[in-house]
Amino acid sequence: MRFRVALLAGKLVNFLCRFFRYSGTSLPGGVALKICPQLIYKMAPAYDQVVAVTGTNGKTITANLIAHILRSSGLSVANNYEGANMIAGVATALIKDCTLNGRARSQVAVLEVDEGSVKKVFPAVQPDLVIVTNYFRDQLDRFCELDHNITLLRRVMTDLPSTRILLNADDPLVVAAGRDHSAVSYYGVDGKQSEDKTGDYDIREGKFCPDCGNSLHYHYYHYGQLGDYYCPGCTFRRPVPDFLACDIKVDDSPLDFTLTVRRWNSSSEGCSAADTVRLRAYIRGFYNVYNILAASSAAVILGVSEKAIQASLLDFAPATGRMEGFIYRGRPCTLALVKNPTGLNEVLKTILRKEGEKALIIAINDLAADGRDVSWLWDAGFEMLDNQSINKVICSGRRAGDVAVRLKYAGVPLSKLILEPGCRESLETLGLQGAEEYYVLVSYTSLNKYAKLLQKMGKDVVRGADQGMPSLS
Amino acid sequence: MRIRACHLYPDLFNLYGDRGNLIVFCRRAEWRGIQVQVDEVSFGQKSPFIDYDFIFLGGGAEQYVDIVVKDLQGKGPYLLEAVEKETVLLGIGLGFQVLGHHFSAQNGTMFPGIGLFDAHTKARPDRLKGNILLEVAADLQEEVERIGGVPLTTIVGFENHSGRTFLGEAKPIGNVLKGWGNNGEDKTEGAVYKNAFGTYLHGPLLAQNPHLADLLLARALSRKGEVKLDSLNDELEIYAHNVMKKRLL
Ligand SMILES: [Zn+2]
Repeated sequence: MRFRVALLAGKLVNFLCRFFRYSGTSLPGGVALKICPQLIYKMAPAYDQVVAVTGTNGKTITANLIAHILRSSGLSVANNYEGANMIAGVATALIKDCTLNGRARSQVAVLEVDEGSVKKVFPAVQPDLVIVTNYFRDQLDRFCELDHNITLLRRVMTDLPSTRILLNADDPLVVAAGRDHSAVSYYGVDGKQSEDKTGDYDIREGKFCPDCGNSLHYHYYHYGQLGDYYCPGCTFRRPVPDFLACDIKVDDSPLDFTLTVRRWNSSSEGCSAADTVRLRAYIRGFYNVYNILAASSAAVILGVSEKAIQASLLDFAPATGRMEGFIYRGRPCTLALVKNPTGLNEVLKTILRKEGEKALIIAINDLAADGRDVSWLWDAGFEMLDNQSINKVICSGRRAGDVAVRLKYAGVPLSKLILEPGCRESLETLGLQGAEEYYVLVSYTSLNKYAKLLQKMGKDVVRGADQGMPSLS
Repeated sequence: MRIRACHLYPDLFNLYGDRGNLIVFCRRAEWRGIQVQVDEVSFGQKSPFIDYDFIFLGGGAEQYVDIVVKDLQGKGPYLLEAVEKETVLLGIGLGFQVLGHHFSAQNGTMFPGIGLFDAHTKARPDRLKGNILLEVAADLQEEVERIGGVPLTTIVGFENHSGRTFLGEAKPIGNVLKGWGNNGEDKTEGAVYKNAFGTYLHGPLLAQNPHLADLLLARALSRKGEVKLDSLNDELEIYAHNVMKKRLL
């Protein structure tokens, strides 16, 4: 009875939110959970499979990729959205997916779960598969410290012995958090990538062996602390990936790499031809290889064929602000969400990999969802922007001044810096710059504002089109 | 002109943008034609701290406190000696707490500090966090004016700490106008003893407060006899400082 009341209340709030065009993606679930705290426990068993994605970076795109692949293979999927990845957001997604009788419409639930919320969400949804992407430092004032989240996951997983867990083998922090579990698979990126011209500005977490405390050694780094590591003092090392990305082409869109799936039951050592598939997706940035790899690995585990994954990836379009493509004033304009140093560094590297002059907006706010503390700007490698191909950088947002100061000390000449705190004004200024390409890097709370303005003032790039080559202007 | 700087425990105490302070210190020296050589010194490494003009100790995660406290038992006397010989020192967050007599961790464990500041710290469960605004202590204000630093009389920053620090003889860097400060009770923030400064204002403190950067730089240079600084174009720094100041007042 309580459950029915909670469900109807959630449905009603959801209807009201939509009616008033209020994007309250957590509100319906929050209200329903107040009435019936056991709501998710009652709803989650209705799904054939529950898949959960957690970690610092790449949760949204990985969850969206999994949902997309599963849908292409004929399954119906319920999923939540970023910003609604705590328990109320998960509840909202399930409420939206069910009928008034409380029956789930979809077969599978794919949920992105905030690293700090796994303790509440995982016991409630009892996931069949958990994917852990990576652990980087995020805004300190939001989630105490990295170690807290890692310990949290390890503890939560001990109460879920039958859950399968898919870990990023290249991140020692992820491996330390999940390796004790009984059913573990690993994904990883093979070999050293071509030398980066942009230099190495990454902050590396997890410098020490979780078993013996020695400093970890690396054969190579991919980014952050991700790479091929080993402990000189004991047996801790990067696990052999079950799902391996190799022969990666990152310079152009689409991203292009070979996925090798190791089948442990096969008698022969090494991989047979049937286990290898070439994957392409219209997403930019080396870091997205990890996200495509994680999603494809999850899909293989869930029983989707490699061929079906290959076909499905080709028509995937990233969500708002995940290197989303627009045409603005006749030039390609890319919108990217930035929220921590490692993510920002990867976006900067992706930008600099392209030839040609570029103009940027960097818009940083300090509202609760952005993180009140903008100190992390000093952990990011803005020194990369001291580069000839960078024409102008427009500093914007509530902390425009702090962005400008950071860039000044990073070596960007003052003549290239423009201070323009306003959102619309910054876009207008950007449109006056004679660069070949535009980029808009924003923190969370101005993402939708910039996306809407770019849609109004510019054009969306057609889904699946080459984002590097404007065909619409 | 050349000065020597030391980044102490760069691998353990590198929390949230603190290294920005060293970047700012070096750039502001270089823009005035002063070269800065930066050495990194970590645990187990011996170092003659007295040879350094500037030592920077950032904030750290509590997980490394054991290692650092143990290591400081050896380094402590040399740091004290250096400060007595006018070396400039800046400690932030946990890097401030370890410079007092003693401090306690969240679980109640007591740790000895090196006793540079006449101060001690107790941990409490709730954190003091948010933007903060200080009025710079009067003698430091006068000094900024004397050396030709940026004419700002306030300090802005961000604090996030569970430790409450109480000063004995040590003097504060400034009075809290908005925010919490050392303990949320007595309106003091930070500690000063000779050329050693401790503070809870983490992240790019010197970037938002170029006058404080110049004060540290001038004191580091005064070991070589120079005191007056060439003025720089600080429009952006002053803009960022004043935006936050206006918001807090
Ligand atoms: Zn080891």
